[in-house]
Amino acid sequence: MGRAIVITSGKGGVGKTTTTCNLGAAIAQLGASVVLIDADIGLRNLDVVMGLENRIVYHLVDAIAGRCTIQKALIKDRRLDNLWLLPASQTDDKDAVSPEDMVGLINELKATHDFVLIDCPAGIEQGFRNAIAGADEAIVVATPEVSSIRDADRVVGLLAQRDIPTRLIVNRISPHLVKKGDMLSQADVIEILALELLGGVPLDEHVVASTNKGMPAVLEGKSLAAREFTRIAKRLLGLEVEPEREVGFFGRIGRALGFSSANPA
Amino acid sequence: MWNFLRNRQSSREVAKGRLHLVLAHDRAGIEGGKLQEMRREIAAVISKYVPIDIEAVEVQIESKSRATELRVSSPLPARNG
Repeated sequence: MGRAIVITSGKGGVGKTTTTCNLGAAIAQLGASVVLIDADIGLRNLDVVMGLENRIVYHLVDAIAGRCTIQKALIKDRRLDNLWLLPASQTDDKDAVSPEDMVGLINELKATHDFVLIDCPAGIEQGFRNAIAGADEAIVVATPEVSSIRDADRVVGLLAQRDIPTRLIVNRISPHLVKKGDMLSQADVIEILALELLGGVPLDEHVVASTNKGMPAVLEGKSLAAREFTRIAKRLLGLEVEPEREVGFFGRIGRALGFSSANPA
Repeated sequence: MWNFLRNRQSSREVAKGRLHLVLAHDRAGIEGGKLQEMRREIAAVISKYVPIDIEAVEVQIESKSRATELRVSSPLPARNG
């Protein structure tokens, strides 16, 4: 029986879809089978971020309406052996799906796959309620900004009401700005939200380029963000994670000059 | 003076302070107007027992590690004789 994990944030634009895409690819690279569900009905995006937009035949609403089997609606990612995408419908409305529909769908997918990652839409309305309905666990993605943290806190409260165990990913941390005192640190965000940390992803321009190409950053080499997504995937799988050497700002710059131009200052 | 000190605070510290305040209110689910209404009622109750300056009564919501606390403070007049 697989695990269903919803990736949510409240606020839009903080990196839910990118996180879903990269965690999915990283978990699949580690050998577990993964289905990614785009739960953002009417505003689908996981397909383009994954680079699978040209291969969609059926979608989530087709599967729920019984126009096709669930297995038939899954798109296999040809770059990895065990990664699938269930795309959202672009033309339906959020209320084309009910929380009960989602529970049924996810239970069926959990029977055949190790992980079901659900990319939650922004907001806390119907789309959110659908996305969390079938989830066993939640990952809240927040960037170190007041608006993102405030919205994340609302979502954390709603997840707690439903007894869904929740962990945190802090996304787009700029070590340079933290050092300057112009950005909340990872520790600040953990303290404010009072959540267990799953990982802290640095701001990394490789992710922008990867998204342009429709290629998960973790499949494109060892950028700082890709390495962190892989570490997070290992933590999710309960694997040993090599401790990240604590490098200061200058260390990071050195490393950036060495083989990556990450973290533009 | 306060502004001078505030300006020296990093934007990171300012953000932290603002978030602590905003989240305390969000978590309690009490909007500003409701809080003021509650403050006035609490002050009125206290003033039935002790002569106090109603305007000096303060109501604050604080939140740490997801536990939210309501704090009411009021200066009490000194008893003379």
